[in-house]
Amino acid sequence: MADVPGVFQRRIVIGAVFCVAAFALVGLRLVDVSLMRGNGRSGFEDHVVTARADLVDRNGELLARDLPVKDLYARPHVFWNKDEAAHDLAAATGAEEGRLRVGFANAKHPYVLIARQVTPAIESRVMHLGLPGLEFEPSVKRYYPDGRNIAQLLGVTDPDNNGVSGLEMGLQDRIRAADDGAPVTTSIDMRVQYILAHEIAAQRQTFGAHAAGGLVMDVRTGEVLAMASLPDFDPNGRSLTGEDTTRNIMAQDVYELGSVFKIFSFALAFEDHTMHLDEIFQIGQGYKIGKYTIHEAEHMPATLAARDILAQSSNIGTAQIALRSGGVRQKQFLTHMGLLTPVQTELPEHRQSLYPANWGTIETATIAFGQGISVSPLRFAASAATIVNGGRQITPTFVKTDADRRGAQLIKPETSQQMRDLLRYVVTDGTGKNANVEGYDVGGKTGSAQVPGEHGRYIPHALRTSFFAAFPIENPRYIVFVLMDQPHGIKATGGFALAGYTAAPLAGRVISRIAPLLGVPNTTPPAQLTGGNS
Amino acid sequence: MIRVLNFFCVALMGLSILALYHVSEHTRVTQMELTRVNRDIRETRNSIGVLQTEWAHVAGPARIQELAQSHGMTDTVSAQLSSFDLLPRRGDAPLNNSPLRNASAQVPQSSAAPSSMAPSSMAMVRPTLSPQPISDRSGF
Repeated sequence: MADVPGVFQRRIVIGAVFCVAAFALVGLRLVDVSLMRGNGRSGFEDHVVTARADLVDRNGELLARDLPVKDLYARPHVFWNKDEAAHDLAAATGAEEGRLRVGFANAKHPYVLIARQVTPAIESRVMHLGLPGLEFEPSVKRYYPDGRNIAQLLGVTDPDNNGVSGLEMGLQDRIRAADDGAPVTTSIDMRVQYILAHEIAAQRQTFGAHAAGGLVMDVRTGEVLAMASLPDFDPNGRSLTGEDTTRNIMAQDVYELGSVFKIFSFALAFEDHTMHLDEIFQIGQGYKIGKYTIHEAEHMPATLAARDILAQSSNIGTAQIALRSGGVRQKQFLTHMGLLTPVQTELPEHRQSLYPANWGTIETATIAFGQGISVSPLRFAASAATIVNGGRQITPTFVKTDADRRGAQLIKPETSQQMRDLLRYVVTDGTGKNANVEGYDVGGKTGSAQVPGEHGRYIPHALRTSFFAAFPIENPRYIVFVLMDQPHGIKATGGFALAGYTAAPLAGRVISRIAPLLGVPNTTPPAQLTGGNS
Repeated sequence: MIRVLNFFCVALMGLSILALYHVSEHTRVTQMELTRVNRDIRETRNSIGVLQTEWAHVAGPARIQELAQSHGMTDTVSAQLSSFDLLPRRGDAPLNNSPLRNASAQVPQSSAAPSSMAPSSMAMVRPTLSPQPISDRSGF
C-alpha cells in the first residue's frame, strides 16, 4: 500500500506548483518582451517633430522652415507681486504690460500666455528674472531665410502655424502630409527670383513707380520660376511698416494691360486669316466708331503694314484688324484662350477678369489694344505663353515638375510661329528695342495702359507699363512678364515713362542675367566673344 | 530529496528576484539614457536646422551680391558658346602659340548688355501711348 502524503508534503507540493507557475509566468513574460517586442520601436520619438515641412526651391535651396521656439506661460497665482511680475515680464518679452496685468488679476485663468515664439535671448532674460510659475511650452516659428525677396509668393503662417496666404496656404496639404521631414519642392529658382526681385526694385526706384512686379515662367512645363511683387513685406517680422503690403499684384490684382494685349488680336487675325503681314492699313489721325474716336498715342504714318502695326503699336490699325473678326468672335477667342476666367494654380490668390457686359463694336476695338478689359498678370502670362509655345494650353504651377505639361491645342502651330516672328520683329524694329539682349533672340511686346481712377475716368498722365518677353524666340522656353504701376519719366528718358523706356529695359536686364543661369544657349558668334585664357 | 528540491527552488527564486531587479534597474537606467540621447538628438537636429537656415540666409544671393559689391565687384555679363558646331574642329585648332579660349566667356558690357542701358538708344524707341489721355475713350 502506497504511503499517503502527509499534510506538510501536500503543502510543499502545492508551494512548488505555485513556484513553478510563477517561474513559468516570468519565463513567458521574458520571452514576450525579449522576442516578441524586442525588435519594435522603443516608443520614443527619434526625429524632430515639426508641424510643417520645409519649402525648398527647385535646386533644394531652403525657402521656409519651422524653427524651434517656445511659448511662455505663467501661473499668476504663485506670484508674490502680480503687478511687478507683469512689469518685469513685459519688459523682458515685449508683451503688453496692460494685458498681463489684466490676465494676472483674473483668477479664472490658471495659465496666462505671456508671449509666443520666444527666442533663446528672450528666454534667457526671462530666466534671469527669477520669477516662479513660468513655463516654456515648446513651439515652432516659420522662418524665411530670403525674407522680402519672395515674401509675396510664399505668404505667411498664422501664430498657430497654419498657412494664411501664398504658397504656405496653397500647398498646405502637401506641407502637412510630407513624411519624415521630406521637403516640399517648389518650382521657384531662388537665383532667378533674386535677380527678378532685385531688378524690379531697382527699376521701381529709378522711375518712382507706385508698384511693380514680374514673373518668369517655363512655357512647356508651366513652372513659375520666379514671381516678385513690390511693395513687399518682411515675412519674418510679421508686421507691416511704411508702404509694406502683403498684396501680390501679379495674382491678386487685375489690370488693363494696354498694348501688350495686341498679341491676342494678331493671333486671332492669323487664326481667322483676316489679314496678312504685308497688308497696308490706313492709320490717319483718328478712327471714328460711332460717337467715339480712337487716337494713336503718338504721331503715326498715314499707312502702316500689318507687321508694323504691332511693331509700332498702332491702336487704330489693331482696332481695324480686330473688327474684321468682330466682337462675337473676339470674345469667343479670348474665352478660348482662358483670358476671361481666373487662372487656377496652387496660389490661393486669384481674381476674376473684368470685361464689359455689352461687348459691342467700340468695346471690340478698345479690347483689341488692351483697354476695357482687365486681367491679372498671371492670367495674362499663362495665355501669352500659349501664343509662343506652339499654341498649346498651359496652366502655371508652383510645384517642380519635369514633364511637358502643355495641353490642348488652342491655336494653330503656324499661328504660334508667325507670332514668334512678329514678336522678334517688335524687338528688332519696334517699340521693344530696349529689351534686346545680344545672343538670346528676345521677342516681346510693350504695353502702356492708361490707369483708371475713380468714377471710371482715366487718371491724367498716369500709365501702367508692361513688357511681355519670350526667349529664345525661335523655340521659346521661358517668358518674362514685368509690370510697373505709374512710373514717372526721368531725365535719361526725356521725361517719358512709356513701356519702351521703363518695362522693356527691365525685361532685357532680367533676361541678360537669368539666361546664362538657365542654360539658354547664347547665339552670339564666337568671334564676337572675348575669350579668357585657360 | 524534497528538502533539497525545495531549497533549490527557493534559492532559484531568490536569485531570479535579484536578476529581475537587476534587469529592471538596468532597463530603467537605459531608458533614462535613451531619453537623454533622444533629447540630445532632437536638440542637435534642431541646432542643425537653425544652422542650415542661417546658412541659407547668409549664403543667399542678396547677401552674396552685397558682399561682392562691397569688395568692388560688379555684375559681369556671361555667355555660353551655343553649340558644338561653333567650336573649331580638332584639325583646325590653333596649336601654335595662340591662347586657348574658355568655354565660358565674358561678353564686353557694351555689346552684351541690353541696349536699354544706353541712353542714346532710348531716344530711338517709339512710344506706344502718350501720357495724355486719349479723348473720347473715357467711358471705357
